[in-house]
This record gives sequence, structure tokens and C-alpha cells, in this order.
Amino acid sequence: MTYGRRAFLGGLAASAGALALPRAATSAPLATVRELGALRFGLYQNNQPWSFEEDGKVVGIDADIARALAEHFGVRPDLALFPADEEVSDDLRNVVWRGGLLGFRKCDVMMHVPFDRTFAAREDQVVILAPYYRESFGAACASGMPECEGMPTEFRGKRLAAELDSIPDFYLIGNFGGILRSDVTHYTSGFDAVAAVKAGSADLAVATDAQIQSALSHAPGDGAKRRKGPLPAMLSPGWDVGIAVDEKSRSLGFAIEEQMDAMMADGRMTAIFAKYGVDWRPASAVAPVA
Amino acid sequence: MKGQFKKFAVALAASCATMGVPAMADNHADGSAGGPSMAELMNDANSTGDVLSYGMGPWQQRYSALNKVNTQTVRRLVPVYAASLGGEKQRGQESQPIVYDGTIYVTGSYSRLFAFDAKTGEKKWEYNARLPDGIMPCCDVVNRGAAIHGDKIIFATLDAHLVALNRNTGKVIWNKEVGDYKAGYSATAAPIIVKDMVITGNSGGEFGIVGAVQARDVNTGELIWNRPTIEGHMGSLRGQDNGITGKTNATWEGDLWKTGGGATWLGGTYDPGTNLLYFGTGNPAPWNSHLRPGDNLYTSSTLAIDADTGKIKWHYQTTPHDGWDFDGVNEFIPFDAKIGGKDMKLGAKADRNGYFYVLDRTNGKFIGAHKFVMQTTWADGIDQKTGRPNFTKDGRPGAPDGADKGKVVFSSPSFLGGKNWMPMAYSQDTGLFYVPSNDWGMDIWNEPIAYKKGAAYLGAGFTIKPIADDHIGALRAMNPKTGKIVWEYKNPAPLWGGVLSTGGNLVFTGTPEGYLKAFDAKTGQELWKFNTGSGVVGSPITWEDGGEQYVAVMSGWGGAVPLWGGEVAKTFKDISQGGSLWVFKLYNQ
Repeated sequence: MTYGRRAFLGGLAASAGALALPRAATSAPLATVRELGALRFGLYQNNQPWSFEEDGKVVGIDADIARALAEHFGVRPDLALFPADEEVSDDLRNVVWRGGLLGFRKCDVMMHVPFDRTFAAREDQVVILAPYYRESFGAACASGMPECEGMPTEFRGKRLAAELDSIPDFYLIGNFGGILRSDVTHYTSGFDAVAAVKAGSADLAVATDAQIQSALSHAPGDGAKRRKGPLPAMLSPGWDVGIAVDEKSRSLGFAIEEQMDAMMADGRMTAIFAKYGVDWRPASAVAPVA
Repeated sequence: MKGQFKKFAVALAASCATMGVPAMADNHADGSAGGPSMAELMNDANSTGDVLSYGMGPWQQRYSALNKVNTQTVRRLVPVYAASLGGEKQRGQESQPIVYDGTIYVTGSYSRLFAFDAKTGEKKWEYNARLPDGIMPCCDVVNRGAAIHGDKIIFATLDAHLVALNRNTGKVIWNKEVGDYKAGYSATAAPIIVKDMVITGNSGGEFGIVGAVQARDVNTGELIWNRPTIEGHMGSLRGQDNGITGKTNATWEGDLWKTGGGATWLGGTYDPGTNLLYFGTGNPAPWNSHLRPGDNLYTSSTLAIDADTGKIKWHYQTTPHDGWDFDGVNEFIPFDAKIGGKDMKLGAKADRNGYFYVLDRTNGKFIGAHKFVMQTTWADGIDQKTGRPNFTKDGRPGAPDGADKGKVVFSSPSFLGGKNWMPMAYSQDTGLFYVPSNDWGMDIWNEPIAYKKGAAYLGAGFTIKPIADDHIGALRAMNPKTGKIVWEYKNPAPLWGGVLSTGGNLVFTGTPEGYLKAFDAKTGQELWKFNTGSGVVGSPITWEDGGEQYVAVMSGWGGAVPLWGGEVAKTFKDISQGGSLWVFKLYNQ
């Protein structure tokens, strides 16, 4: 199976105006990268399984993809972890098109950017492309929890876990008349929330699928499982994950996109995800071509 | 010559100290080696030859009795010099200078501190905090001022450190981390000094932080007490538990109090008479108020804290269960007045929410509150009996359900507030408060297509917009006894700088258009202006030296306003950045 560029770009051109410009732009940004011998990637810090530090090293799915890309272009990967600001829009400003006010140098590429037509249309300083994963929210429960597949109202009285200030958080504390609110314990990441279930200190966590799969396979402890059914009244249907480059570096973006297409087609992408316990699944914007 | 001698004397004192001999070069009996003593700091409001504290005295009334520059003479006010902060580091200059012993100490953007010769503007030294490049400050890289005590000049940095420098050399005496910048903590407010302690609040843009007020030993930076602002959190005094703030889960559900917000990012004031510190607290988290039913104490409040023990003596919440981003951080300024024939110890605060509050500063009792902006859509007055706002029926932004944008709600003031950080002034001559305010509202709606940390999120969309044709900014003279606005000056761009009142019947404030302006304190008539070349968002000061009265202010456009564009941006789009200290005095033929 291959991921046809034509179909992919067709979808893009139809959706996001800013992305639909002719791709005859100069190759200068890519040439600059080659000349400097380094490709600088912006990665969210503390974002397991995507990008995080382990024994002083930057690891994770996004970090591995970045390293593979740098290797392809024959340059050194420069992996810069940055703290998430209030919204991704702020991150794009800090990381891609302006840089930080206190010396954080802007990156050639930011990983893990939502690939969403409406969102992209608002962000005219950057080009968002190369969707490489489909993400959505789900739940993980202690294996002994019979209500795991039940209605969320049945979670009342259980020890619930979610990342602070996230949709899983709003879902648990804001829905169902607020009856679950006092049962929720907040964690700094969705991975930690699921890890708490696995470690036996929580009964159920709501998190992203990647966080759930990765924590279930990598976090210490046992006796936790993934909820099979979807969560009723979940506030997001899921979203595609892509990358962003400066609007002036679109040729670099296209070159990266091409390489990521190749990685998706030949199984390297699947292998990187599998290393962190996550089943790779293609972005819904990318139409698989037989 | 005098300066030279002083320097020599201090050098001598320093070398004596290393030999274990008490420093004799200075006559401060309390050991505040070669600089202002605690008694001098507490008397700052009355000493006209210096400016020793943020707000010009512990009450921070920003009033000076000096009257050589007055309504008659102010037209002769001319610049003496402008001292540049240099470099590429410009952006917002929100600082208030300190003046002592022929030196002006002023902080600059990017956590810098400068010492200038007060007469000539020549730079004596400069200190640049070495900031980690991983910080992404939410709202510009400002700093609001330093504190002086003995041989030390102390200021806070963007990476949440408190740094004490030798005021003569700019060399570091101590440097303490007061919060973890990696966890989102920062610091921009001017510290205050009370009883040989440095008192600071905290700030942080990131969700999950909890406000606190901290007291440290001025000589070492060691923590003496810590008082969290959110109920349920344990305070400390000299390393021991010191009681929980409020009562756990009384006004919060679940574990949300653990990450409840309430940052004290603007610092506080102090009343020596009651020994109380007054600190305002920020709004609660998360932003969607429907997720956190209850008053959410003590967010959007003023806290009165005993300076010796760090215990909360009283609180007053200006915006219970905030849903509009109405921080309650604004300065609470003590003043004395007769109400109904009775001498009262009072305090006043002009809140982000558009109301001007007067409280009994000894016990927090509500005296009165009046609107100081054109429009408050969220509340229809403050109940005189309960001191709580009369919330309007449809004034609260709705709860996002993830599906659609929902209806657009117009809300005034905007989240930048009827008044933001910029401090007001009180005149002991007119009995009026001079409030730098802004008339603006916002359209706010649920934003289903929002993303945070690379993941889908439910955000709020908003657009700030003017609500009047002829102005956004308005400097208003408020009578605290009646709540009446005595006069107002309207400014096209939003006002973002502090105010100074003087015995010369003058009120000074700056404008983003670049002017420092002087007004008749009684009538509001504009009497003088001077364009500094960049927007003025700092706080002016005045002092006298050699029989002449000086006025100084920082120039340098920035702060939070330029971050939020929209229609409001039209009023300041042509303003250039800057970074200069301007000093003025009367021209004598």
C-alpha cells in the first residue's frame, strides 16, 4: 500500500487555502539546512509517548521520526524541547515563525501540530502539512473494573484520572451533570493518568489513544486494560496530527512530507510507533491508495 | 565629589567587614550597611529627597508633597537627560525607578537592572540576569521595579528568581529561586521590604500553578514564611506547618483546588499601623467557570496577611466564581478619611472587573463600591449589604459542549480589565484617587476548534473591541467617599502606565502615544505633555535634589496590550519600541 501524494495534495488543496499555493517555491530553506548540516525540530516537552526525556536523552515517537528525517537529508537532528503555551497557536509563534522572546531559536520544523483545515486557515504564518497519525480520546481501566465498558455515570465513586486542563478533564468534570467531578484526580499528562491506573492508584483514566496504548505497554504495574467501546458524549471526534514549517520554508515542508509519505508506505512509521507500544494509524486526511 | 567619597567609604566598609570589624563608615545603627534603613523605608512617603520603594511608601499612594513643579510652573518642565537601556532588548518598560544617594536604580525588560547617576544620567552599572532560553513568558518580558534595603537592591526575574545586588557595584549578594520556571512560574512584580523581610507574590502563565505570598530574610534570601492563596494548601513559618489556607473543599469541588490559580503576580502593599500586607489574587483555573462551581476562594480577592506570621487576617473577594478572567491582583491602597463624621482606616482598590472598592483595612468590612468604567455587563452594581456583585442574568460566558461555536456573548470590561496592572495614585491634598482605566469590551464565544499541547481542546475565542468612538483609555479622578467621578481625561490608546500625584496639585501619567502628561489634580485640565519617543507604560516618580524638583519616567512601549490586536491595535500600530529613562526638571533662565 502506498500513500499517494496526488490524492493527499488534492485533499489539501481543496481544504486549506493557504496550503493550496503552487509548490514551485524556491528550494532555499532546504539548501540552507543542508549547508548548515542540521535540521532543528521543535518537540513538546513532557509529552509521552511523543517527545520526552529519558536518561538525559530526547526520546519518543516524534523524536524518532525527526531523527529518521535528519538521517534521510544527511544532516544532524537538533531536537529542541519546548514547554506548551496556552494554545497551539502560541506554540507556532514561539517555535515556528517568531521564536521565543528569551532566546529560544525558531525551529525548522515543529512536530505534532494538529492538521485541521479550519485551524490551518487561521495560522497564515505557517504551513501545516504531512499528516502522519489519527488521534482520538479513549479510556483505560483497572482490569477488575466491571463498569469499564459501561455508561460514564457508572464511573461514579471510582477513582478517575485525567490530564489537567484537557478534554479528558473537561469530559469527566463537566459532563453528566458534574456527578463525577469530585472523583477526578488530575495528573500532569495523560500518560501519567493511565500509568496511575496501571499502578493501581486509579480505576479509570481518560486520555488519548496513543497515551493509553503506550502507558499500558510501558508503564510499571499490571492489571489494566483499554476500554473497547467509544466514550459517549466525548467532546472531540479525534484529529489528524501533522507538522508545521514557516510559511517561507514551504519547500522544506514538502521535502519532509515526501519523506514521511515514504516512511508510512514502507512500514518504518509503523515500526517507530510500535517501539512505544502504539498502533500506527494513518491520518484521515490521507487517502490510502491501493 | 560626594559620590566619589561615598564609594570609597563603602569599599572601606566592605574590607573592614571581611576582617570581622564592624563597618564604621556608615551611621545606620540598625546594621543596614551603607543604605536605607527599615525606618527610612517606612518613612518613604514623607521623605522628598529620595524614592525608596515601589509606590513611594508602604501604602503605595504614589503621592509626593513636593510642589515646586505645580500648575503654574509645570509648563517650564523640560528634560534633563534620557538614559537608554541600550541593546536590542527593548519591549515594554513597566518599571518604577528608585532614587537614593544620587543614583537612580531602574529595572528594564528582560530582567535587567541599571544604576544611573541621578544628575547626569551616566550609567554606573548594569546587571543582566542570565535567563534560560526555554522560558516562554505569556505577556511580554516586563519588570515593574526593584526594592532597596541597606547595601542591597533587589528585584525579581522572569525565571522566578529573586536577586539581591550590591547597590554600589551591581554584584550579586544572593540569588534565590522562588519558583520553578519549568513548571510555569515567573516573576515580574516589584518586591516590597517589611521588617527586614522581602515580600513577594508569584506569577505564572501555565495552568496548574497556585498563588502564594512569601517572606524572605532580606540579608540571605532564606524563606521565612509562605502563604498559599487557595483554600486547602498548607502555609509555612520558619520551616514548620502554619495552618491551611481557608477550609479544604469549602468553595471548590474535587481536587481542583490543588491547581486553582490565584497567582499574586502584581505584588502587594503594607500598612505599618495594622501590620497587614495586602495582596490581590488572580483568577481561578480552569477558565471555564462551569467546571468549578463555588466561590473558588481565595481567587480574585484581596488578602490581608499578618506580616509576622503569614496568617490571613481577612479576605474580600471582588469577583466570586470568576468567569471573565477578572484577576483580583490590583493594588489595595490604604488611606485615611472621615466617613459620616468618623475617622476611618480605609483602603481602596480599582479592580479588573470595573468596580472601585473601598474597605475597612483593619477588618475587610465592605464600605462601598462604584463603577469606574463606562460599562460592566457582567454585574449590575455591588450589593451594599453583602458586598457581593449583582450578577446579570446572561452575563456569564457559556459552557462549551464541544459541538459548536455557540452564541457570541459581549462582555465588558474585556479580560484585560477596567484597569490592568498599572497602579493608581491617591492625593492627600484633593482626597481623590486617580485611576488609569480602559473602556473596552470583548466578544467571547466557545471555540470548538482549538488545540493545546498538540491535542484537541475546548477554548474560548475572543475579540477585544473599543466601546466608545473617541477613546479607550481614561484617567479618572474618583472620590472614594462618594464613588463619584470628579473628572476624566480620555486617551485614544489604552492607558497602561502608573500614576503620580503631587503637592503641586498635579497628576502625572504616561500614554502609549509616547507622552508623559501632567493634569490639574482638581479639574483634570491637561497642563503639560512631552513626547518620549516610545510608549510610556511605566510609573512616574518625583524627588528633589539641591533645591530642585525632578520627575522621572520610563519610556518603552509593550506589555500585554500589543499581544491582542484586533480593532484596539489601530490605536497603537504606529508606536515604536524603546527603552529609556527620562528625567525632567524646571527650566530656569
